[in-house]
Parts: sequence; structure tokens; C-alpha cells
Amino acid sequence: MPVISYIDAISRGLREEMERDSSVFLLGEDIGEYGGAFKVTKGFLDHFGSDRVVDTVLAESAILGAATGAALVGMRPVAEMQFADFVTCGFNQLVNNSASMHYRWNLPVPMVVRLPSGAGIHGGPFHSRNPEAWFFHQPGLKLVAPSTPYDAKGLIKAAIRDSNPVLYFEHKRLYRHIKGEVPDGDYVVEIGKGDIKHHGNDISVITYGSTVHPAIEAAEILEKQDGVSTEVVDLRTLMPLDKELILSSVRRTGKVLIVHEDTLTGGIGGEIAALIAEHAFESLDAPIKRLGAIDTPTPFAPTLEEYFLPNKEKILTALRKLAAY
Amino acid sequence: MAIVDVIMPQMGESIAEGTITKWYKKVGDKIAKDETLLEISTDKVDSEIPSPSAGLVAELLFPEQKTVDVHTVIARIQTDVHAPLVTGPEQIELKAQNLTPEATPSFGSSFEPSTAKQSVSAESDRFFSPLVLNIARAEGISLGELEKIPGTGSNNRVSKKDILEYVERRKSSGAVTHAKPSGAGTPSGGTEVIKMDTMRKAIAEHMVRSIHTSAHVGSVTEADVSKIAAYREKHKAEFERREGFKLTFTSFFVDVVVKAIKDFPLINASVDGDSIILRKDINIGVAVALENGLIVPVVKHAAGKDFVGLARAVNDLSNRARTKKLAPDDVQGGTFTITNPGIFGNLFGFPIINQPQVAILGVGAIKKRPVVIDDAIAIRSMVYISMSYDHRIIDGALGGKFLQRIVQYLENYELRIMN
Amino acid sequence: MSTAVKSKNTRAVLAKRTDSAKQHLSDAELLRLFYFMRLTREFEESIITLYRQGKIIGGAFSGNGNEATAVGSAFCLKKEDYLFPMHRDLGAHLVKGQTVRNLMLQHLGRANSPARGRDGTGHYADASLRIYGNISHLAAMIPVATGVALASKLRNERSVVMTYIGDGGSSVGDFHESLAMCSVMKLPLVLIVENNQFAYSTPITKQFIVERISDRAIGYGIPGFTIDGTDINEVVAVCAQAVDRARRGEGPTLIESVTMRMHGHSVNDGAEYVPKKLLDEWKKKDPLMKIEKLLMDKKILTPAIRSDFEKKISAELQEAVNDALESSYPPAEDAASEVYAE
Repeated sequence: MPVISYIDAISRGLREEMERDSSVFLLGEDIGEYGGAFKVTKGFLDHFGSDRVVDTVLAESAILGAATGAALVGMRPVAEMQFADFVTCGFNQLVNNSASMHYRWNLPVPMVVRLPSGAGIHGGPFHSRNPEAWFFHQPGLKLVAPSTPYDAKGLIKAAIRDSNPVLYFEHKRLYRHIKGEVPDGDYVVEIGKGDIKHHGNDISVITYGSTVHPAIEAAEILEKQDGVSTEVVDLRTLMPLDKELILSSVRRTGKVLIVHEDTLTGGIGGEIAALIAEHAFESLDAPIKRLGAIDTPTPFAPTLEEYFLPNKEKILTALRKLAAY
Repeated sequence: MAIVDVIMPQMGESIAEGTITKWYKKVGDKIAKDETLLEISTDKVDSEIPSPSAGLVAELLFPEQKTVDVHTVIARIQTDVHAPLVTGPEQIELKAQNLTPEATPSFGSSFEPSTAKQSVSAESDRFFSPLVLNIARAEGISLGELEKIPGTGSNNRVSKKDILEYVERRKSSGAVTHAKPSGAGTPSGGTEVIKMDTMRKAIAEHMVRSIHTSAHVGSVTEADVSKIAAYREKHKAEFERREGFKLTFTSFFVDVVVKAIKDFPLINASVDGDSIILRKDINIGVAVALENGLIVPVVKHAAGKDFVGLARAVNDLSNRARTKKLAPDDVQGGTFTITNPGIFGNLFGFPIINQPQVAILGVGAIKKRPVVIDDAIAIRSMVYISMSYDHRIIDGALGGKFLQRIVQYLENYELRIMN
Repeated sequence: MSTAVKSKNTRAVLAKRTDSAKQHLSDAELLRLFYFMRLTREFEESIITLYRQGKIIGGAFSGNGNEATAVGSAFCLKKEDYLFPMHRDLGAHLVKGQTVRNLMLQHLGRANSPARGRDGTGHYADASLRIYGNISHLAAMIPVATGVALASKLRNERSVVMTYIGDGGSSVGDFHESLAMCSVMKLPLVLIVENNQFAYSTPITKQFIVERISDRAIGYGIPGFTIDGTDINEVVAVCAQAVDRARRGEGPTLIESVTMRMHGHSVNDGAEYVPKKLLDEWKKKDPLMKIEKLLMDKKILTPAIRSDFEKKISAELQEAVNDALESSYPPAEDAASEVYAE
């Protein structure tokens, strides 16, 4: 099976969907001629033409509103926000139009918004955002966040085929750092289904996106050094959450650490913790623990950013504390 | 014939009331549909209100200039103009009807608390997690049993592992046939393997390490504590009434040791390679025996405390040690330890130094013995005191002198604590 | 020749065009337009009455004074074109084919209304009529309309998208982002700015300093026109041109239709900040009065026909009101459903 990078997996998924369904088209800044700021859509303009790959003006609200309009009348737009950080410029369109139209008008809005997100690339406060929490709170939107190339390709396909607005959080640092096996040809990763990336019995780690990898590394170290067995649950979809997967893991282990790269307070880890406390209270052998970035804007200097972000060592420390409880 | 209500409309989302400024009709007047019946005034706008129905004005329920809540019925129209006028009850002070739609059912997920009877009561001092209680309930383990299960979790908490292991042991010990096979020897009457718990492992590791670290030597002495014993006997009731806890011998020993350390500061030290680290703070550890081990809570900054303060600290720490409520800070930072081999009646002991300290005092049992005083035999309350110390930095001379100083302070204790 | 038209010259250009346009509207068409304008006026009056009787809750808006703009503009659309109306364009809904019954149910939030009670007033969509109603955030629909125009272009549909905004709304970012996108991509959008002198209580003197809102078209390199929004002929003539341009693939047009907001911002606004003199002046230019005079002068409209229209309109409205009052609100549990499409 081919081993390809996370970014290639997204590219392939997009390309395959565009081949498969002529109503799928891309719109965004610098995606056509330039191939996209990260080169996800390199070669697409030549292959599909300017009717399928639309270079837009610099106007996020117009881009997101236009995607909504095009989806309303039966097309399947995939809008790119050059950096997830810029989605706030079109926040109103997403939460008041895209998210509410099916509820109010019984009309589907089958659009996808690709959001290159995440920190650890010296991006500073405006090129490092993980904005999922704001949209997690908006009924009517779906949110997905793949951590591996396999999931990246499967989820972009699923997102495009979904009849609802789907926000696709692709982590910038994972683009070229993570490689994995990705089958050729068509397959989807079902939206709403998480995945156990590392099986274990003593502690559950609930996580998604970039922190899946250090969580697995910490789990392996913990097993080797302390003999403690950790289960890493990769959510893959943030909305709707795979509640059953989360709860079944916690019910088996009794101890849980929730990890996300997004800042801690108000991050979706809080909702997951509440869910566990409410539905698995009697299975808990320790308080529910969360780990996220500290509650600040993303700082620029490498020393500051390292302090800001969760990492393998911090996860390991948290796991050890939990194990000892 | 119908009676149609006219209500005070809500002229704006934030508007809660309206004032009737002018009635255009009197009771009994004819009115056409949509004809203006009254004029109202609100914070936002003044408005003419059209009648919802044609007919006769049957009732005007409020006078002009009256302010009423929105949705209140303010008038009634009788649709049949030819029927005699139906007059309703006297003007009623109507409560505003809250016409907001019924609160929708809460969509929060409903949780069903476990219906099994909670047999474990709240009388225990130990903390049991929901999972542990759950397992206890499922396995029919009573609170009494649960209390006795040794805990390897933090603060000796019974963890999931501990209770599950207990359940296993219970099952196998209740079996009629042979006992759990051990690692060596035949099953019947041979050996039994008990896995060490965390505390035991820690004690074992520490003791061996201490022996390998310090050059242990010991000295033994005896002290006449008759005066202290008599004093204590006389005042213990009043002390307890006044301070709220019992007056113990330990308090006196701690007090005396602190004084003696001030005289011989090298006792309050540690060794680091070829450096001697003198510690300024005098933090006295007082060993407490537990059911399955021991723990040494520390009285911090003992030099700054008076007798009652020391006594209180010792009392508090011992209680918390026995009820497993010590915090990690309570068992760290000691500079000298007092232990009590005499608690079970023995004369004296050979304690192992509590690393990284350099001396440990063992207090034997206080017993009445015949002793020679001024060539006569007297019956006195005597106690043997032994001290193990580290010959790397404390030579016999220093150790001996320190011990003697303790004897001196004990035998000439200034008993003014009650004033 | 520049495609941008300096609005100072517009009046002269328009004068020529509308004269010719006046010939294009047949008698039958003019009568039809009058009927729709009358129906719009009466419908909104009944909405106000129902609101004051507590039967319509929340809020209600009136387009009194805007009837010629709403009706005349939508009149230029074909079935395959898309309409994105604002809150004073009720007439446009009717012209595009929406029924009085549906609009009444919609205002009363009934279960069998187009939005099934999930949203009120004009905030509904009817895909079969290609009507997509507004949301409360002004100018927020213009990007969506832009997207529909984009889809039309990408699919070579040759359908046109018509949308509206107010003098106040033309300050919003979405107005500008949408024009930026539509102009450079030549999307088939007709954007009508209804300059009715006030944005709630804010007069236009506090909203912009350009001489005409249509001057903004220059900034986007597209044609801009300022028209008399009370004159049905002018409205139809200029809108028809804009629609044709769009259909031919020549891109968007900005039309500023000048009228007066005769009632308050909403039915709860007494609008004391509007000088009485201004209202009196505009009363003389009432679009209904104007078209009526025009038709009477041409003898297209007679007292008999007028009376007949009034009866028809009254009956239709009454039936719609009764129907709506007899219909029920949706059941409470419905609130939780259909957040997502299957």
C-alpha cells in the first residue's frame, strides 16, 4: 500500500472527489494559479479548469457566503480559508447562514470549509489558531479533524459527500511531518466515528488532531518504563462526537486524560469532561484530567511557544500523575 | 354568540407593559372589526389598537392612564350586537398571563443514578472513588471490609487495582480446596506469597539504603522522668479541657530534643558527598506506627513553637497519620526523627537513621524502676533512650554529649507550661 | 468606453431610457403592477393591524413607500432567476409568485408556513420559486446571493440574481466584499440599494458623504444608477436593463432607488426623528397614488376596476388571515429536529 504524506492524502482525496462529482468545485485565495499557500491544490487548475478551481478576491465573508449560496442551489463547494485564523472574518456567514439554513428552511447546505490550522510552526498568534471550539458550539455545523493521512483522505471525501456544512481542520504541522499508508482508490472515513489508535487498559487518552501523535509516543514510553497501559482514542470527528467510543473506553479504564492543542479553557475538552462525568461517573477511579495549550494567544518565540503547547513530556507527566492516583 | 378578548399587545421584543391612554368607545357601544378601540402608549411607540372583532363593547377592564402588563386582557367584545349586553364580573385585577411558550423539555441527557442500594455509608474517613464503591457494591463488600483494604493509590487510597486484587484474594481464600498456589514449595502448609504494597516497598527500600549510606553507631542512656510523669498526672485533665487534646509524653520529648539540638547544631545536618549541610530549620519527625507500616510526619519549624504549640502539632500530625489524611508536605523536610520503640513495652531499640538525617532518637517504655539516689533506693519513673547516629559526621563524643543533654533537660524540665 | 457610469450624468441618460421604456410596459402589465402594489400596501396594513392585536408577535416591518421599487424590480425577473428580498420588499415576493396565504402563515409563524415556524416575517426560503429570504444581519445575504450568481455562471445557466440592501446596509463589509467579488468575476447580480433616507433613526447625512450611493459603483468599475424609486416606469426600465446585462454575462449593476420610509423602522418605532415636513413632502409622491393617477389618466384604470381590485384584495387577505389564525403553531418537540440534513 502506498505510504504518502498527510498533505498528499488531502490532495488526493480532493482530486478524486472532483473527478467523481462534477458539482464539486473549489474556491479560495491563491488556490488556482498558485496551487494554494501550502500547495494542496497544486496542478488542479490545469487539470480541472477555472470553472472548477476559482481564485477569489481577498474577502473571507464573501467566500464563505458565496460557498453557502452555491451549496444552496445544488453545487458542492469546497472553500479554503488560507489559514484557519482568517475564518473569523467570515464568522457571521458560517454561524448565521450556513449553519441555520437547514433548520430554518429545510434546505441542505452541502459545503466544506478547509481550515489549515494549528501551531508549532512559529506562526505567531495569527497563523497558529485552532478555532474549533467556537464552531463546536454552533448547531448545524459538522467538524472533523484528521490526525493521519489515512483519516485525512477518508474524511475529506466524507465531508464533501455530506449534505451539511463541514469544517475540515487540517493541521499545518502534520502536512509534511506525518506519513502513512493510504489505499489508492475510493474509501471514506465515516463522520461521527472515532478510532482507537493505541489500545490499553489503565488510562484512556481522548484526543484529536496533532496531539494524537505525542499521546501515542507517551503511551509507548509509559508502557515500557512504568508498565502502565494507555488507550489513545482519536476522535477524528469533533461534531458530532463519538460519545459511545469515549464512554466505552473510560468505562473500561476508569481514568481519563483529555488532550487537545487548542487552549484549555472553553476548549472542547470541557464538554467531553462533562459528558464523561455525567454518563460514566460510577466508572471513574480518578478525577477527569485535561491538557491543552495555556490560555494565551499563540506566542511567537520558540521558547514561549514550547511552553504554550502540550507535548509528549507534558502528556507523560499527566499520565503518570493519573496512574499514581 | 362569542365573547372576544382584547389583549394589551407587545409592541416590541423588550416591551413588558403598555398604558391605556384613551378609550375610543364606552361599554355598550357598537364597534366594527379593525375599528380603533383604544390608544396605548409604550416606551417605544404610541399606537392605536384596532378591535379584533365587530360587535358590542362588553367590558372595558381598566381605566385610562392605567398601565398593564402585555398580554393582559383589557377589554371584551360581544360579537352579537342584538343580544343583551353580557357584563362580566367586577373589574378583576388580572395577573399578567405569561404567554411565552411552555419551556421546552430539557434536552440535557438524563442520567439514571445507580438504583442499587448504597451500602457504603458516609462514616468512613477514607476516600473511595465512585468506581471503587461501585465494585464494592457489586461484590458485596461492606464498608467495614472496605476500610481495611490497604491502598496503593495516592495518600494510600484504595484504587481500582487494590479492590480488584482484594476481591481475587477473597475468592481464593474462601475456596474449600487448596490455597492459592505459591511461587515455591507445595500448596498445603508450605509458603504463601504476599506482594508488597507501595508503602512496604518504600520502607524496605529506604531502610536498606539508609544502612548502606550512614555509618550507624548507637548510644543508650536512661533518664528519670518522674517529675514530668507526676506533673502530667496532676495536670492532664485540665490540659485536655483547656487545649482540647491529651497531654502526652511525646510532647515533652520533642520539646527537649529541640532545645538540645539548638545546643548541638551539627545534629541537625546532612551529608552531601564531602560537605556537611547544616540545616537552619529544626523540623522534628515523629514516627507513627500504622497497621501495616509506619509513617513519619514532621513538625515544621519546631524551634519557633512553644510547648503547647509543639504538643498541638504533634497531636494533629499523629491523628492525621492514623486517619490517612497527611499531605505530602507533612512527611517531607524533617531534620531529626524521634521514634518510640517503647510503645509496645520494650526497653529500648536500635533505630535506623531516617535519610538524609544524621541521627534518630528512640524512646523506650517509661517504667517504674528501683534506682539508687544518694545511696538510697528509690522508685522512679525511668526511661531508656537510645540514639543511632551517623559516624561520618557525628563522633561518639558529640553523640554522647547530645544524649546527655537530653537527659539533663528531661530531668530538670522547667514545668511552667500551665501558666 | 468605460463601463462605469458617473452618476451625475445618470439622470440625463435615464430620462432618455425611461421614456422609451414607458412604451415597453403594456396596459395590461401596468394594471398588473398596480394590482401587486395595491396588494402589497394592503397586506402590510393587515400585518400592522394583526401585530397591534397581539396576533403577530416579535416584530413586523412595513415597506410603505417602497411598493414601486419592490414590485417593479421583481417584475423584471424570469422564473429561472433568483430573488433575495429584504424586509421592505414584500411586493417582490408576490410578483415572484409567492401566495398571500403563505406569506400570512409565515408572519404568524404557523406549522404549515414556509419556514414551519422556525423563523418569522420574510425569513423563509422557497426553492421552487427561487426566493431566498433575508436574515436580520443586514447585507449578510449579499454574499450568499453572490454565491448563487457564481453557481449560475459556473453552470452556464444564464439565470440572474437580484438582491436588495438599504442605505444603512450599504456601509456593511459584506456589501463591499460581494461587489468586489461580483465585479471582478462578472457575476450576474443586480444589487438594488433602497435609499429611503433613514437607517432606523440614522439619516443618510450620517451614513455617507458621497453625493449618491450609486457613486460607489465607480469604485468597483461597474455601472451605477440612481432612480426615482416611486416611479414604476423608471424602476422597471433600469432594472430590466441591469437584468439583461447580467444575463449577457456583462456582470453586476448597482441601482440606487430613492424613496422614503413612510413608517418607522419597525412597527414599534414611532419615528419621531423624521421631520414632519419630509413626510408630508413624500406623501405627495406616494407610489400608489402616482401609478393610480397615471393609469386613471390613461383610462386603463376605472373606478369600477379599482373597486373590483379592492374587493378581490380584501377578500384574499381576509381568507388568508382566517386561514392563518385557524392554523396552529408547530408542536413543541419539533424544536429539536432537523438541525442537520440527512
